[in-house]
Amino acid sequence: MPGYLFISPAVLLFLIFVALPLLAAFGLSLFHWDLLSTPEFAGLDNFKQLVQDSATIRAVFNTFVFALASVVTHVGIGMLLALGVHRTMTRGTKYFVRTAFFFPFLVSWAAVALLWKYVLDPTFGIAAYYLQSSTNWLASPTWALPTLIVVDWWHTIGYTFIILLAGLQTVPAQLHEAARVDGANAWWRFWSVTLPVMSPTIFFATVITFIGAFQIFDPMVIMTQGGPDGATRSIVQYTYEKGFQSFEVGYAAALSLVLFVVIMVVTGLQFRLSRRWVHQ
Amino acid sequence: MNQPLLSRRPITRRRFLQTTGGTALAASLAACGGGNGSGGSGTKELSFVYMGTAEQQATWNKLFAKFTEQHPEIKLKAEGIPLSNWGDFFNKLSTRIAGGQVPDVIQIATEGQRLFASKGLLAPLDDYIKKDQSTIDEYYADMDPNLIEWDKKYASTDGKTYYLPGEFNTMCMWYSKDLFKKAGVPEPTPKWTWDDFRHACEQIKAKTGAFGYAADSAYFGAIMPWLLTNGTSSFSEDWSKPTFDDPKAIEAAEFNRKLVADKLSPPPGGTFDAFTAAAQGKLAMFGGGRWPIISIRNLKATTKMGIVPWPTKVEQGSPVGWNGYPILKASKKKDDAWTFIKFLISKEGSSTFAQLGGTIVPARKSIANSQSFLEDAPTGTQYLYQALSYATPIPSPDKGAAVQKAIEDGWKQVLTGNATPADALGKAQTALEGLV
Repeated sequence: MPGYLFISPAVLLFLIFVALPLLAAFGLSLFHWDLLSTPEFAGLDNFKQLVQDSATIRAVFNTFVFALASVVTHVGIGMLLALGVHRTMTRGTKYFVRTAFFFPFLVSWAAVALLWKYVLDPTFGIAAYYLQSSTNWLASPTWALPTLIVVDWWHTIGYTFIILLAGLQTVPAQLHEAARVDGANAWWRFWSVTLPVMSPTIFFATVITFIGAFQIFDPMVIMTQGGPDGATRSIVQYTYEKGFQSFEVGYAAALSLVLFVVIMVVTGLQFRLSRRWVHQ
Repeated sequence: MNQPLLSRRPITRRRFLQTTGGTALAASLAACGGGNGSGGSGTKELSFVYMGTAEQQATWNKLFAKFTEQHPEIKLKAEGIPLSNWGDFFNKLSTRIAGGQVPDVIQIATEGQRLFASKGLLAPLDDYIKKDQSTIDEYYADMDPNLIEWDKKYASTDGKTYYLPGEFNTMCMWYSKDLFKKAGVPEPTPKWTWDDFRHACEQIKAKTGAFGYAADSAYFGAIMPWLLTNGTSSFSEDWSKPTFDDPKAIEAAEFNRKLVADKLSPPPGGTFDAFTAAAQGKLAMFGGGRWPIISIRNLKATTKMGIVPWPTKVEQGSPVGWNGYPILKASKKKDDAWTFIKFLISKEGSSTFAQLGGTIVPARKSIANSQSFLEDAPTGTQYLYQALSYATPIPSPDKGAAVQKAIEDGWKQVLTGNATPADALGKAQTALEGLV
């Protein structure tokens, strides 16, 4: 009995702030509601509208592109950075570089987004100055999403980097020594020792990055408002627009359920596939 | 390990569900017009919510101090919400009301008046007006009759009065006298045309290198004036049908695109600050109502600037939006609320606000034409009031924020050159038809 008491704060918080709202979202998705008048029962109308809404499909597509690019660049380049820092640096430089990489992550998205808006300004931004280019990065349908991917990378790489660096430090030195005695070169030691031992860390970083990236919202809202012409609108942003700008709360709830299911399915898939490559 | 993730992307799905879920729980409390009036109205204070940036709130606070001085018995709790457009302000307000936080009095601009009146959230003011008829008669007599008529026509759906019309904004062109002089271009006259405007931009660019105009995609401030001076609008007169792909609207968008393409205007989507650029002599003209005055004063540039009516192509035109002050149905302090509203529209309240350099034109003719409004302001400030005679209320159907976004997104596509004016506005038109 005291056991239940001990876990009750966590359970209550979960029930009130996670389980209940989730149920409420299920309920709301079956209604038409504009926040100010009485909700009307709508059955599955919202879901019917959802599969026909080209803006939803576009937003889901954009979000997938963003999330995939995010996972690849964060884990790939993050790994290279972590390896570089781990192998070649003296203790002092290591501290400095680690802090430098992690620092942008501590700055709130709102500040980062505004800062980059200045950097990318087509008239007097330093990007235009150094790249000698007149591309209006955030207003071009081709470049807006890649630009946001780069900005997001700059902002959040520190997090992935730190996880991977910590993972690298757990690789036992004697395994490397044994491999070296067996005549393995640096590449083989990485491939056959470091990577397998680190695979749980890489797996964790991949899952976390994907979930985080799939919920991306702030840079779109602040830097491009989802434009130009919906080229950068993410699924969470679209949910927000529907719920709190068009006042279609039921539809927004339906959208958020789609997001929930997508994340669940993809994460489930990742766990499933992980059996093939993650070292247990 | 979860914590950093949450702080990484502040609005996560979970937080989002919490919000939606939270409002759902509150729905039973407030959805039926806030019938049981929880939140602000339950406390001892009279709560008032308005839109104002931190810079503007200082000005408002002086006005509130004056009210407290006159009515020490009423505890006023005023809250300024710092947002940059009315659409976002009403979103925030609706969410709050759905969550059970109902204020007693709200500042509601034209963009949201019909929405709030039609949802049954407001108490009719007719009885209060009858009780204080002479005060109201005096007020109405000191006002452009258009404003009273529009307030009846657009701010109510059932013939009852829900708002007293208050201060308003129209659109005129602000220009830098210095740059016109430097370029040897005569200052614009009230009867100038689009061609004169374009010519001035070209001359100024050629002779001083400064931008002529800051093309923008703000619905009220940078789209509507061009549509109206070309004899068209974003919606039909009763706001039931969008007309955003009308050939005249396309022509207006094209005209703006050319300003950007010819580098007479900075490219859109950046961080260009028109007020500062104009004060520094890097920009000759920007569109504005009364609101640039606070920044222009802070930049010590009032004498360097002038104001003229918007250049015309077909006819004179300007959008107009005015503030209305309703009492919420759920309020438990309706009499105090009425006292406060009467203070806001009184000569004294109105002139204090004008003098302090509020962001808006006073509704009272006597104040708008007085020194308190015209001094320490650019020459031509009187044109802002005169624009009422030819202005058009800003079309604001119920889904105001979504409508505004569709219009602005389409216009932005034209300005950046991503799409032809006909395609971009056509697409926006389709989106608008889906919204109304």
